[in-house]
Amino acid sequence: MDYSKLDDEVLIRLIVADNADSLSELYDRYNRLVFSLALNIVGNPGTAEEITLDVFTQIWEKAGTYQPEKAKVSTWMTTITRNRSIDVLRRRKSRPERLSADLFQLPSDHLSQDENLEDNAQAALQRERVREAVAQLPEDQREALQLAFFKGYTHRQIADVLDLPLGTVKTRIRLAMGKLRKILVD
Amino acid sequence: MIDDKHVIDQLPAYALGSLDDEEAVQVSDHLSVCSECRSELETYQTVAAQLALAGVESNPPPSLKNNLFDQLQIPQTTKSRDEGKERRWLVPRVLTVWSMVSLLLILALAVGSIFMWQRINQLEQSARPGGMYSFALIGTEILPQAAGYLIVGADGRNGAVIVDKLPLLDADKEYQLWLIREGEFTSGALLAVDEMGYGGRRVSAPDNLLTYSAVSMTVEPAGGSPNPTGEVVLVGTLTNP
Repeated sequence: MDYSKLDDEVLIRLIVADNADSLSELYDRYNRLVFSLALNIVGNPGTAEEITLDVFTQIWEKAGTYQPEKAKVSTWMTTITRNRSIDVLRRRKSRPERLSADLFQLPSDHLSQDENLEDNAQAALQRERVREAVAQLPEDQREALQLAFFKGYTHRQIADVLDLPLGTVKTRIRLAMGKLRKILVD
Repeated sequence: MIDDKHVIDQLPAYALGSLDDEEAVQVSDHLSVCSECRSELETYQTVAAQLALAGVESNPPPSLKNNLFDQLQIPQTTKSRDEGKERRWLVPRVLTVWSMVSLLLILALAVGSIFMWQRINQLEQSARPGGMYSFALIGTEILPQAAGYLIVGADGRNGAVIVDKLPLLDADKEYQLWLIREGEFTSGALLAVDEMGYGGRRVSAPDNLLTYSAVSMTVEPAGGSPNPTGEVVLVGTLTNP
């Protein structure tokens, strides 16, 4: 049976029935996204690997809790990954700090090695669309957004880290998300 | 119309988890009673989830997949994607004598199943008459318009599958229903459809039908296969009572 043509929701239904091939296919589709997000958040490859294992273990064990009417499978997986990663970060109790490098990747002029394959083309286009949208944000909004998304910092923590008034941080994040919403959703 | 009482301004930060605890509780309380703000929040949650795509990309080590399957203690049996590329999708061709006979049988079945559809409608309108169960089957990506139902008797010993909007197959192919439990596939029925894509068949299995957790339907060589080999066209979950 060829699982590569099944959509994500169908794979989840089969995972509920303990179908290991469906988990294998879902892993092939999303391991890079899950690992990259975890690594961008925790900054350590070994910890990112552990989080990736945790995320797919949770999907295997709790696929029955997935609610298709609430979110796409990819959104569900991204949320699990981000929550798990930020939990790890918070357990370290390290002092909030600025990012040493930009964690948003700029849009590229060409598709990478395997992205011209039919299976990956749609995902690659969506990725580029999001990167182009993020690239349009002013630098100060991008920085605040990165600290909120990748580090899980609160408004107050971001204001402390960037040495800015709280209201300024709130405005930057609200404007950034509003602009992305207009480009990506509306 | 959204007014000042709503929490629209806080929703972007709420979606990112950036509000202080006190603010987050206030927003959460409001969301519990405001569908307008919940709808707005879903939009921002969609944006937040997409931010993951904008991050710097890295590949995990190839061994991580084996580690996952070892950790879960499940066998990894999937063929590589290249092997899976072998496509055998089928289009209607010239009907053979055998398929004409099949067609007549199917038409008879289709007439009979009109009454069964009426029964399904009754099932949906009245909660499980006679204790029977109905499970919806949905079309996969290659056939999103396809649909079906698996009907199971109260004691789980008898069942029937009805399908709609499936392509008519060549004579050397049949649709095969699979009952899935703990990752194992058990054949439940072989069936064909008429020119309208409609068909039905009694389902039989070695165990009680309600002990299975999902079903799928694939295209297989006529007479069926011991394990699924072809395109998956329908899938459904048996949420056991």
